[in-house]
Amino acid sequence: MDLLSNLQLMISDTFASNKILYHVVVIIFAAFAAFIPRYFPIRFLSSRKIPEWFNEWMKYVPVSLFTALVVKNIFITTKGYHFVPFGHPDQIVAALIVMVIAYFTRSMAISVVGGLVSVWLLSMVI
Amino acid sequence: MSAKAQINPEKARWLEVLGISMPLCLSYIPIGVACGILLHAAGFNFIMTLIVSIVVFSGGAQFILASLLTINAPLSSIFMTLFFLELRYALLGSSLSKYIKNESQHFIWLFAVSMNDENYAVNYLKFATDKKWHPKDGLLVEHYSLLFWSVSNMVGGLIGSAVSINLEVVDFALTALFIYMIVMQLRSHLALLICLLSAVLAVIFMVLTGSIIGVVIATLIASFVGFLIENTVREHAKVPKNNWFLAKLFRPRATRITIEDQKAEEKEEQEEQEEQASKAEEAAASHDEPRQHN
Repeated sequence: MDLLSNLQLMISDTFASNKILYHVVVIIFAAFAAFIPRYFPIRFLSSRKIPEWFNEWMKYVPVSLFTALVVKNIFITTKGYHFVPFGHPDQIVAALIVMVIAYFTRSMAISVVGGLVSVWLLSMVI
Repeated sequence: MSAKAQINPEKARWLEVLGISMPLCLSYIPIGVACGILLHAAGFNFIMTLIVSIVVFSGGAQFILASLLTINAPLSSIFMTLFFLELRYALLGSSLSKYIKNESQHFIWLFAVSMNDENYAVNYLKFATDKKWHPKDGLLVEHYSLLFWSVSNMVGGLIGSAVSINLEVVDFALTALFIYMIVMQLRSHLALLICLLSAVLAVIFMVLTGSIIGVVIATLIASFVGFLIENTVREHAKVPKNNWFLAKLFRPRATRITIEDQKAEEKEEQEEQEEQASKAEEAAASHDEPRQHN
């Protein structure tokens, strides 16, 4: 036990003195965190026959996921995950503008650029 | 059309795919530079920033990594936070797996490691609407976006603290991209309903769990409810596509037609033709009958 805590101290000492080494370790951990959820489900599912109901279920994943991510970006604080309905009024208005642009133009480029311009202008007004 | 032919007279596939992924790649530049600047502020040098942008390749995760590093969070909590943040890629991978299941293990590995929200969005749309869209084209989109992302990250790391940017404005590029994808996906009343349900669930579960895992839970529940409703309607309604849930939302004429729509239309036409043919046969038969009597 004593040895273990000494070891931990040693490691943190090395990290404190060697920033680059610490960053390399952080990157390795981050790489694993990014790799595991990406690779294993797709590997598992692509090597066997997928039941029809699973495909039907997955059909609604994109729309639900993108909605959840948009809600997170606009209505949820990054620190503490609190719900703020009107925390970013400029982004809410800009989001509505993007919806209208996307609906009528069907163009990704125009939607993104239009959204950026409108949020930039709105952030100066509101 | 003529402009396209001028730029790409030989119709090289890599150029066509580059054209398709260009909006995405260009929107990566400001966000990537911003992310590089943040990572520089967190103490990463530009080579570390380049490496992390290649191996993690996720805007959200890198922004959070930068903020965790600045508050000197322990390694274990960095790993757990990133892991939960990236858990949504399990869903993205699952929903794309049916399109790439004929590819080699090596291809699947390559495809999985360079997948992220935005190029998934582009690929999903192409797989669903373009019959000629090959998994290799999808991989190419991923690699173009990875190239633009990592280079702009490195540039951000190099210019470092020399520039100040409004992060919220830059971050909105991704929100706009997602909103565009949602609008493109809303084809039926049911999809709209699921979208609203997912929004409500996302708020509830993110506040309850206090973490990004709320997004994954909300997505799983909302998409499952969508599947359940569609399944019930298909089983019980006489004409499923005329049911309110599955009826098409009103859309402008410039709308894209998915492969599934095309198949459904072809099937309908075939059925109509068959019906007409059988009617004609009947008519012919009824014409024949009196003659025989004569």
